[in-house]
Amino acid sequence: MSKIIIVEDDTFLQGLASQKLSKEGFQVVAISDGNQAYETIVKEKPNLVLLDLMMPGVDGFQVLEKMNADSTVKGIPVIVFSNLSEDKDINRAKELGATEFMVKSNFTLDELVEKVKSVLK
Amino acid sequence: MSSTPTNQTHDPLEHETVSVLAHQLRTSLSAMKWILKMFIDGDVGVLTPEQHGFIEKAYGANERMIALISEMLALSKVEGDGMALHKVETNIITLIDDALFDFTSESFKNGIEVIFLKPTERMPKLFVDPAKIRFVIQNFIENAIKYSNSGDRIVIAVEKKESMLEISFKDTGIGIPTNEQSKIFEKFYRAKNACAKEEIGTGLGLYTTKNIIERHGGSVRFESTEDKGTTFYFTIPQSAE
Repeated sequence: MSKIIIVEDDTFLQGLASQKLSKEGFQVVAISDGNQAYETIVKEKPNLVLLDLMMPGVDGFQVLEKMNADSTVKGIPVIVFSNLSEDKDINRAKELGATEFMVKSNFTLDELVEKVKSVLK
Repeated sequence: MSSTPTNQTHDPLEHETVSVLAHQLRTSLSAMKWILKMFIDGDVGVLTPEQHGFIEKAYGANERMIALISEMLALSKVEGDGMALHKVETNIITLIDDALFDFTSESFKNGIEVIFLKPTERMPKLFVDPAKIRFVIQNFIENAIKYSNSGDRIVIAVEKKESMLEISFKDTGIGIPTNEQSKIFEKFYRAKNACAKEEIGTGLGLYTTKNIIERHGGSVRFESTEDKGTTFYFTIPQSAE
């Protein structure tokens, strides 16, 4: 069973996405605080991280930076799942190693599941 | 690398504000989208046909708002600074690659293959406003995806043409009806078959695109057959400084 960490500060969206992925058979660890994200990723060593960008305290870019600097978690695929869509944000996420960049409002949860499965293939 | 803003009316705060507002709006609209979809899919119980119809309508309205926010963001970025050009030396291949990364998920979702035929010979660097040319590239790719069908293929190519560099976007989508071809660069104009396929659109994308390219000393043209597809071309002078 693949393990996915969802980092999302909006607890409502987080709940919906977690529920959907759990139903699809994934083991889901949900975090609503960017401060805990990196430590949890290191501890849990998930198969994939679903990462929001705009969060209070430590944001998604900082989480990517920390992952990038740590060889034990650097190779874990990260799907950035954010409602930001500026070129500068997409470029920065890409430079920091994001595998995919998805704008939340442009995708249904079924499409998210498809994307997760294709990245994990 | 040098920069030559042609006028100083640019207010970065203005677009930044629009961007933050768009983020907040999208967060609420994402929640609505996901919940309405759960109702449509029957995840939270069976609806009567009448209820299903109403929820479908609400979902459609929500989708239109999401699409309009994306258009508003793109236009606010290019028009917010009074069309001033901030030219720097730019590698067109990297710019296309970066723009394509934005669409990986979108084309995957729509079952459309996007291929970038990278030239084998070395391409000259261009002296352009990278943000605006990226908008142009994104607009052509976005249109090609929007007006193509699942299983279709979009091919992007770059070619040297005398003193110009020509970038093309070939799709096998719905095409542009012959009697409307002379109007598609007009402000707010959208072809009838485009409106039928994709209800949402401001009719400003191609107008803005043409404006940006002409301000760079280039030109825009297209070849199109209805129901067969369209190829858009734009040129940029190789040494535009």
